[in-house]
This record gives sequence, structure tokens and C-alpha cells, in this order.
Amino acid sequence: MSPLVLSAWSAVSPYGVGAEPFARGITAGRCAVGPLDPATHPGPFDRGGVVPDFSARTHVGKKGTRTMDRVTALAVAAVGQLLESCDGGPVRQPEETALVLGTGSGSVQSIMDFTRDSFAGERPYHVDPARFPNAVMNRAAGQSAIWHRIKGPNTTVAGGWLTGLLALSYAARLHRGGHCARVLCGAAEEYSEQRAWLEWHGRSAAERATPLGEGGAVFLLEPAEAAREAGHPALARLLTTRFRAYGAESEVRAALAACVRDALKTTGVAPGDVRLVAPLGAGGESAALEEAGVGDALGAADPRWIRCRPLLGDTSAAATSLQLAAVLAAAGADGLAPGEAALVTGVERDGTVGCALLAGA
Amino acid sequence: MTTTNRVDAEGRATIKGIICDILEIDAEDMTDTSRFKEDHEADSMGAIEILSQLERAFGVDIDQAELARMVNLEGVVTVIDEALLAKAA
Repeated sequence: MSPLVLSAWSAVSPYGVGAEPFARGITAGRCAVGPLDPATHPGPFDRGGVVPDFSARTHVGKKGTRTMDRVTALAVAAVGQLLESCDGGPVRQPEETALVLGTGSGSVQSIMDFTRDSFAGERPYHVDPARFPNAVMNRAAGQSAIWHRIKGPNTTVAGGWLTGLLALSYAARLHRGGHCARVLCGAAEEYSEQRAWLEWHGRSAAERATPLGEGGAVFLLEPAEAAREAGHPALARLLTTRFRAYGAESEVRAALAACVRDALKTTGVAPGDVRLVAPLGAGGESAALEEAGVGDALGAADPRWIRCRPLLGDTSAAATSLQLAAVLAAAGADGLAPGEAALVTGVERDGTVGCALLAGA
Repeated sequence: MTTTNRVDAEGRATIKGIICDILEIDAEDMTDTSRFKEDHEADSMGAIEILSQLERAFGVDIDQAELARMVNLEGVVTVIDEALLAKAA
């Protein structure tokens, strides 16, 4: 069982920049998906959940942001919000602080724009070199650390919809291995025309209409004792994460049920203690199979379900991190109560399922 | 001997605009001789970027060895001027 607690969090979401607008939006169940202006957001979708009025220049700074792409700016802003909420404590020992950040493919917009310049320009090397760093996957994680002077291990994790859960699992392992004293962990995803077309072409007809969302969430993970010493509230204890593979979609239900059962069994949590469940709720059959799998594992328990996707759209790589943020938002300023547990689950179309189990600290 | 007859006032303004944009400074903060690195906090990435953007804007090839002379606006104008001359030849 992990000794780590979640002691601070931040979110940048279609509700706005910060944990507070996110918590208000989620607890009110307000839908943040709205019409997209085709002039600014061309592509196959006429609705989406974008972070309102967000830009690197306005939310990160005027200097050093000229070539910063959107997903990087969202990540830098989310990490900045988190550090601000705990008075910069985690960066007072910057070498001891790790950053584990999830992403889809980095910024597909940056990758495609840079490649097109090389093909379409007079010479293949007539590209903007300052934009090259945006074309690699670890740009957001690297830049977030550089910007905020975080000097511990810096990791980029990508795993589709399960990204946020995989990042959490990686963060716990990094800490368990003695590589850092604390971890900032989360994920970010941007809205772009390029991502929109990739999603549209990659989806089955049944889920093609689901609007896209964007945003990011970041969490501070540290040992309970360190949180107490620093005066950070222990909002929840990260008990464990579990992942499993499945072949056909018909196996999703059993695979996820096995994941959740295993998580409960190894941590000694009774199904009835699970009060909150935040599922991914991906389109098509998957959402129903996911909820059925969780239901199978929890039996007669009657938890409260927090469904983010109808409110935020499909936030892809940021989805499971935003679900975790939604659990903390629902738990409130004091976090999960002792004896209370919460589940965040996901089903990735490429054949994996996963869950994170949290409990009151 | 510096001749700048191939880079006219408009060309000069284009160059200055590109550099100020890259260095994220206001045009009035840059003089003909203020130095990018010492006075405007340019780093090696900024220098490469200036070279690359000017190549695109003026359709010329600039050898990276010229970076040694591209330390201020005056130096850049001279290098571009010579590159345009070489292109015309």
C-alpha cells in the first residue's frame, strides 16, 4: 500500500483556470461544453469544452511564451496553480521534487505544423527552430519543470484515456524507489483542429459525435507525515492502482471488475466503504460496460457516481486526472473522511482497463 | 566597407520587427548597436532563430558562421545585405 497522500491539487478546465471554478462546476453538475466558433476552432466538431480565454501569454506570462504551445501552457499553468496553493513549498527542495506529467502525443498541432513547414517551405530546413521543442512529447513536462524550477526526476507518461492513472502509478513507484521526496503528478490535453480530426477519424461511428474537451489537473503526492509537517491537508490517501488487459470489448466488464476487486482485496477496503466513483464513461458500449464492471466488484454498495465526460467532453489524455480532481472536488476542503474510499476508473480502447483506489487519510 | 543599399528602410524595419519579436522586446528598446546577448538577454537558441527567420523572410541562405557578426541590428543588416548581393550575383 502506498504511503502517499494527495495533499494539494489544481485544475485548468473548461470551467476556467484553477481548482475553485472546477470544484464549483463539477459539484453543480454544470455542463461546460459549448458551441465552438468555426473561425477559431475549425474542424469536424461544432461543440467542445475549451478553457475559456486561455492563452500562454495571459495565463503564463508575456516573456518566454512566444513559442509555447497550448498543451505546454495548460501544464505550466496547472503546475503554477498547484504551487501557488501550497505557497511554493514543493520547490523549496527542488531536487527532491519529481514531476510526472501525462500527455496524449504531446501537441499534435505543433508536430503537424512543424512538419508541414518543412515540406511546404522553400527549403526543408526553413522551419522555426524555436518551435521544435514543441514537437516532442516531453515538452510540457520539461517546460513545466524549467518554468517552475522543479529539479527532480521529470517523466512523461502516455497511455490514452488511462494516462492519468498510469501517471499516478508511475509517481508512486518513483517515490517507492527512493528517487524523490514528493511528486507533482497529473496530465494535460489541448484542443486543436489537428487533434479533433485525428479523434474524428479514429473513432467508431457510434461515438463520433462526442465533443472534445481540454484541460489538465495536477496533484501533490507526499508521505502523510511530510504533509502534516508542511501544514498541507491530507485530502486522500492513494491506496493503490491496478491495470489489466482485455481482448474483445465483451471482456471489459470482467477485466475491470477483477481490477477493482484486486485493489479492494489487497488494501483491505470493504466494497461498502467506496462512496465515490468517477468513471471515464467513454462513448459507445464502453461506458455501460465500465459501470457494470465496477458494479460487479462493489456488489450491494451504493456509491455516488461522478460523471465528468458529459460535463467536460472527451478530454483524452487528461480525462482520468480530471476525474481524480473531480473526486477531490466532491470530497471538499477536508478531503475524504476516515473510512471513506473512492474509485477512479477508465477503459482504454486499445485494450487496457485500470483503476485508482483512494481513501480518507 | 558597409553598404546597405540592398536593404531599404522597409527591409530594415522587417529585420528589426523579426528580431524584436523573437527577443520579446519592444522596438524602442533596440538601437542599431544594442547587443542582443548582452543587452537583450538573447541565448544561442534565439540567435539561431533570428538567422532562420531572416532566411525565410528574405529568401537567402546565411551561413551559421555569420552568427559571429549578427550581434546587433547593424551587424544583421550588413549580413543580410551581403546575402542579398550574393543571391543577385
